[in-house]
Amino acid sequence: MKAIQPLIAFAFGLALLTGCNAGKPTLYLYTWSDYIDPELVTAFETANHCKVKIDTFDSNEAMYAKVLAGSSGYDIIVPSSYQIPLMVKSDLLQPLDKSKLPNVTAHFSDSYKSLILNPEMVYNIPYAITFTGIGYRKDKVGKAEISWSSFDDPAFKGRISLLNDFRETIGAALKSLGFSLNSTNATELQQACAVVLRWKKNIAKFDNEQYKTGLASSEFLLGHGYSGDIAQLMLDDPANIGFALPKQGFTAACDEMVIPKNARSVDLAHAFINFLYDPDNACKNIQYICAIMPNEHAIAKLPEKYKNNPAILPPKEIMAKAEVLKDLGAANALYSKVWDTIKASE
Amino acid sequence: MKRNPFPMIVLLLVLAFLYLPIIVLTANSFNLSRFGGAWEGFTLNWYHQLIRDDDVWIAFANSLLIAAGATLSSCVLGTTAALALHRWKTPLQNVHYGLIYTPLVIPEILMGISLLLAFTAAGIDCGLHTILLAHITFCVSYVAMTVLARLQDFDDSLIEAARDLGANGWVSFIKVQLPLLFPGIVSGGLLAFTLSIDDFVITFFVAGPGASTLPLKIYSMIKHSPKLPVINCLSTVMLMLTFVLVLASRALQNIRHQKTAQKTA
Repeated sequence: MKAIQPLIAFAFGLALLTGCNAGKPTLYLYTWSDYIDPELVTAFETANHCKVKIDTFDSNEAMYAKVLAGSSGYDIIVPSSYQIPLMVKSDLLQPLDKSKLPNVTAHFSDSYKSLILNPEMVYNIPYAITFTGIGYRKDKVGKAEISWSSFDDPAFKGRISLLNDFRETIGAALKSLGFSLNSTNATELQQACAVVLRWKKNIAKFDNEQYKTGLASSEFLLGHGYSGDIAQLMLDDPANIGFALPKQGFTAACDEMVIPKNARSVDLAHAFINFLYDPDNACKNIQYICAIMPNEHAIAKLPEKYKNNPAILPPKEIMAKAEVLKDLGAANALYSKVWDTIKASE
Repeated sequence: MKRNPFPMIVLLLVLAFLYLPIIVLTANSFNLSRFGGAWEGFTLNWYHQLIRDDDVWIAFANSLLIAAGATLSSCVLGTTAALALHRWKTPLQNVHYGLIYTPLVIPEILMGISLLLAFTAAGIDCGLHTILLAHITFCVSYVAMTVLARLQDFDDSLIEAARDLGANGWVSFIKVQLPLLFPGIVSGGLLAFTLSIDDFVITFFVAGPGASTLPLKIYSMIKHSPKLPVINCLSTVMLMLTFVLVLASRALQNIRHQKTAQKTA
C-alpha cells in the first residue's frame, strides 16, 4: 500500500501536465477532418514562425452548440455557410478586416458569387465549394442518363442510397419536380413528399457516410452524395466510378472561414486566410481536399485529371444549374414535418 | 448423458457476433482500398501512414494521459466517498447518495453542455485540464458505486479485531480494510479507465483548442477523411497491446500460483 502515495503524486503530476503550454504564437483552427493540406500548414508555420493546431468537429450543429455555450480560443472556424447567419445572429463572429486580405481581393472570382450564401463576405471568406449529386458505378449502370428520376428506375431497385439529410433529399425531390429547393410552398412540399415516398420503395437505405463504401464495393449502384467524397472515389477508381449532376438542378454548398469574436490571434488568422488564397497554395489545397476554392487563378493551374473531374470542377453550363441551400428559419419546421412523414412511413 | 450441442452453438454465434466486426476491422487495415468495401489487395501503406501521422498519436497520447489521470484521481476520491457513505449515516444521506448517483443517469450531452457552461461562467479556459476534470466527475461515481457494493459485504468485525489487537484507526484502515477492498477499487478503476478512453460527447464539449482526444479524432475522420484506414491500423495496434497485457498478467498470475503451491507443498 506504500505504492499509493507516489501514485497519487503521479496523478496530480499528470493533471498539471495537461495544463501546460508552449511558447510560440499559436493559431487554432477548428475545421473538418483532413480538410487542409498538411504541407501547406507546415509552410505557413515556417513562414510565420508560429504553430498551427488543428481541431476537428464532425457536425455543424455540434460545433455551434459548443461555441454558443462559451468554448473559446479558436482563431478560425470552418463551418458550412448555412450555419453562419445563425452564428452572426448569436453574436459569435467578428467582421473581417479586408485590408489584411489582399490575396482574397486580388484572386477571389466573382463568377462564384452566385454559389455563395453570404456574398457580401463581411464575416466569412469561402473556403471550398462542393455539390450534391449522384455517384454511380460506370461498369454496372450502362448508358442510362443519371438524374433524380433514376431513383425511380426499377433496374436499380435496392441498390440505391439516399442522403439522410432532410434538406438534401427533399431538395432533390423538389428539383426533380422543377421547384426551388428553398421552397416554402405547402403544395410543392406535399408533392416532393410523395416523390420521396415513391423513391423510398426503391432504395436500399438512407445514409450519410457509408454510401462511399457501398459504391466502392458495388453494393450500391447509385449513391446520393457529396462531390468531395465521390471525387475521392473517382481518383481511386476512375474506370468504375462516375459522378452525375442532374440537369434538373442540384445543391451547391460552401464551407467558409470565419473568425470568432473571442479569437486570440486575430492577425495570424487573417494572415492564414490570406495565405490560403495565394493561387499556388490554393491550387495545392484543391488537389488535397478535392473541392474547388473560388479562385480562378488557382483553378487554371490545376493538373488535367483534376480539371476534368466533374466532381471537382463541373463544366460551367452545369454549374449554372446549382442552387444554394438557404437557411429557412421558422420554415424549417415544414421540412421537418415532411421528413418525419417520410421516415415514419413503410 | 449426451451433451447438448445447443449451448456451444449459442456460444459460437455470440463470439462471432462480437468478434467478426473486429476481424473485419483488422483485415481492412491491410486493405488497399480506402473504403473497405471490397478487398483490393494487401498493403502495409496505411501502417506507414499511421507512423507518420503525428496528430493521431498526439490524440492517442492525450487520451491515455487523461484516462490515467482520471482513473487514479477517481479511485482515490471514489473510495473515500464510498467509505464516507458507508460509515456515517447523516440525515442528508439520500442527498449525498443522489449526488454520487446522478452522473450515472443523466444524459451525456446534458452533462457536457452544463460542464462547458460551468467552466465558462467560472472563467476557466478549456483545454486538456477541463477534459480531465470532466472525466474525474463521472468516473468518481463508477468507482464509488463499485467500492460501495464491496463495502456492503465487508465484515466490520475484522476492523474491531484489528483495533482490539492494538492498531489505531489509520493502521487498521491501511492494513486491513484497504487490502480487502482493493479488488473492488481495481475493478472500479478499470471501468473508469475504459469509460474515460471511450468518452466522446462530454469530451467534445469541454475540450479546448489544441486538446484533441482519440474519440474526437476518430468521429471526425469517419465523417470526412480519406485516411480512415489509419484508424483501423491504430485499433489493431491497440488490440494487440491489450491481448499482450492480458496474456502477460495471466502468465504472472500462473507463476504466482505456482510459487504459492510450491511453498505450501
